[in-house]
Amino acid sequence: MLVRLKTRTIRRAAIFAVGFSISATVLDPVDVRADGSLDSIKVLQTLTSGDDSAVVASNAIKQLSKANDVTLIQSLTAMKGATAVGRNWLSGLANSLYRKSGKSQTAELTKFLADASQDGEARYLVFQWLTTNNDVLRKELLAKMNQDSSPELRFLAIDEAMKVKLESKDLSVLLDAARHPSQVVSIIEKLKELGVTIDQSKQLGFLPEWRLIGPFDNVGTANFDKVFPVETDWAKGVVKDEYQGKTEAVTWKQHTTAEPAGVVDLAELYNKEKGCIIYAAAEFDSEKDQDAEVRLGCINGNKIWVNGKLVLSNEVYHTGAQIDQYAEPIRLKAGKNQILVKVCQNEQKEQWAQDYKFQVRICDSTGKAILTKGR
Amino acid sequence: MRLNMHKFYKTSWFAFGLTVATLSQQVTAKADWPMFRGPNAGSVGIDSKLPTKFGGEAKENIAWRTELPGRSVGGVIVVGDQAITTSSSGMDQRRLHLISVNSKDGAIRWQQEFVARGRPFCHPTSANAAPTPASDGKHVFAFYSSNDIACVDLEGNLVWYRSLSTDFPKAGNDVGMSSSPVVLDGVCVVQIECQGDSFAAGLNAEDGKVLWKLDRPKQANWSSPTIVKMLDGQQVIVMQSSEDLLAVEPKSGKVLWKKELRCSTIPSSFAAEGKLFVPAGGLTAYDLSSVGTGPSKLWDNNKLSSNACSPLVVGKSVYTISRTVLACGDLFTGESKWQTRLADAKSIWSSPVVAGNNLYVFSDDGRCFVVELGDKEGKVVATNELGEAVLGSPAVSGNAMYVRGVSSLWKIAEK
Repeated sequence: MLVRLKTRTIRRAAIFAVGFSISATVLDPVDVRADGSLDSIKVLQTLTSGDDSAVVASNAIKQLSKANDVTLIQSLTAMKGATAVGRNWLSGLANSLYRKSGKSQTAELTKFLADASQDGEARYLVFQWLTTNNDVLRKELLAKMNQDSSPELRFLAIDEAMKVKLESKDLSVLLDAARHPSQVVSIIEKLKELGVTIDQSKQLGFLPEWRLIGPFDNVGTANFDKVFPVETDWAKGVVKDEYQGKTEAVTWKQHTTAEPAGVVDLAELYNKEKGCIIYAAAEFDSEKDQDAEVRLGCINGNKIWVNGKLVLSNEVYHTGAQIDQYAEPIRLKAGKNQILVKVCQNEQKEQWAQDYKFQVRICDSTGKAILTKGR
Repeated sequence: MRLNMHKFYKTSWFAFGLTVATLSQQVTAKADWPMFRGPNAGSVGIDSKLPTKFGGEAKENIAWRTELPGRSVGGVIVVGDQAITTSSSGMDQRRLHLISVNSKDGAIRWQQEFVARGRPFCHPTSANAAPTPASDGKHVFAFYSSNDIACVDLEGNLVWYRSLSTDFPKAGNDVGMSSSPVVLDGVCVVQIECQGDSFAAGLNAEDGKVLWKLDRPKQANWSSPTIVKMLDGQQVIVMQSSEDLLAVEPKSGKVLWKKELRCSTIPSSFAAEGKLFVPAGGLTAYDLSSVGTGPSKLWDNNKLSSNACSPLVVGKSVYTISRTVLACGDLFTGESKWQTRLADAKSIWSSPVVAGNNLYVFSDDGRCFVVELGDKEGKVVATNELGEAVLGSPAVSGNAMYVRGVSSLWKIAEK
């Protein structure tokens, strides 16, 4: 489709002036030919954060609304390669366009949904439009989506599949496909009912083997950012056997957790100590150089270093915890990788503020476990 | 009555001519309900007539019920003939919905949808869609626990969107945030208080630009900002936390006054009859007409406490709910008048509303207690079952009450 627009909307110079760098390669080669609208779409695709970004985007979407020459499929296609913030702007645009003309474009939308190379969030949006008030179509589509490239569609498909009673063979297929921990746990429980035992900790890639040392002082929650000698020595790879702790000399202790979700219960291991810090060290033997994610669940203040680099830091106490609460991309090197976790407990006295624990897993960006060599 | 334990520190006051107007309930039967607790945060539809009996197996006086995607523990607003609410759905409740429903027949008029860019996590009983949206009559502002905020026009077209967690990555609370935005003088005000990036901000209603940002105590806070109208007509934003109570000018964010005070962090303050009522252990009333010296304390009463629901005023009485006990106090002296236990009520999270002389409050199992308010007693005249959990506060508009259940929206009106 060729679309001509006489008036330019947003000038590149103005865009650059507020600190955007627009990549000409971001926009997918859709059939947008209107210069002004093309520029406005690009603005939305490349949005980051901040006030200038919001103001420019607000102007861009106004121009797009006035120009009225961007199609629904173009707005959806533009979500591919867009920033996370940009995808939400484009989603907003697509929703408006769908209201105007979407119901007459079922064929195009069906084709868009089937194209796994398109943006997953855009395809999820389309899935919802197509299946509203059409449960038969919903089930039909989901039946083919438990390996979908969109994590959201895959999640829905597995949820739908789990609604009926399944044989262990079918559950095993779903287990292989599942990425979200809640679904993995649920499938393992169902397999267990059928007599099939799965190591949940291994399936999710939790780290069970730790060396722990502490407690160190955190009275008054004063030492979240204090660099104790353990941190500096560990970064240099010269860790000592003994350090001065909160009240006395402390030494490393080996701990293996058998908890299915990899939970290391520091309250239990350290006699419910409060106002303290424990360090936990683990080694991860990677098969190869590879991208991965470290994912942490922890209800206490926490930091994680991977191979000497600080990757997570959260000075938050007792406001909820769950698997994959914090996630950060990391680069694993082939061979031994060193992981250090700092877990800080405060001195709150409420019953609900006594938990002192953490759980760490290593996985790919979709949530699939990456295991240490030999596990 | 006993002053509770909170310390009062020296108040900083700025001379802004804080003469205070008496706020009367301005809601009429036909008025909009534009934000959490309605106009002036009063929670009162004084001219509205609602049925006392509704729901149950007979679906008595249920005008319509519309199922909505996902779940919500927030409330609903009414703008013109639209009832507008939010939902969150999908994996980790990352899908954020903003939905307009035709108030006449319950048909969905328009929807918008986004994906949470901030932390979507919350307690299992809560939802990412916890704050109630707000409207200035031209825009609708949808705010979520994940600190995503979107502004649309009344046709549902996106005007602007901000991921405040992208801008301030440590903003959030994995129990779930729930502070509802307010909009005043072209500024949408959000209160994001947590242990990380803790702040309040005023965003330009037209384009989402942050006009001002105020650092706030690094403690979890679920209460909502409140609009307070002064006697000279000036409207200010009042915010509370576990450490302070303050008023800011909406356009500039300038702090007009601030008190160090250990306020409650779930129920919110509101103003009526020239007084500011602040949940702070019990309830504390301030005289907003005390020009130049700050809002001086009139009284406090620790028997008028609120654990979750925000208090409200009807006539010459103030009402609070603690757990399952509805208490009534004298507006001018703070003296307790009566209290009534809502028998068999479960947890109550939904702030009550008043229509006519009846108070309507939902327990989280979806039962609505209708209490006839008297000077000597509160009489439970009906208990109604919707059969769906309700945690958000209803809206009253015309002779109808709109109730946001966890998974659907209800209109209750005399048939």
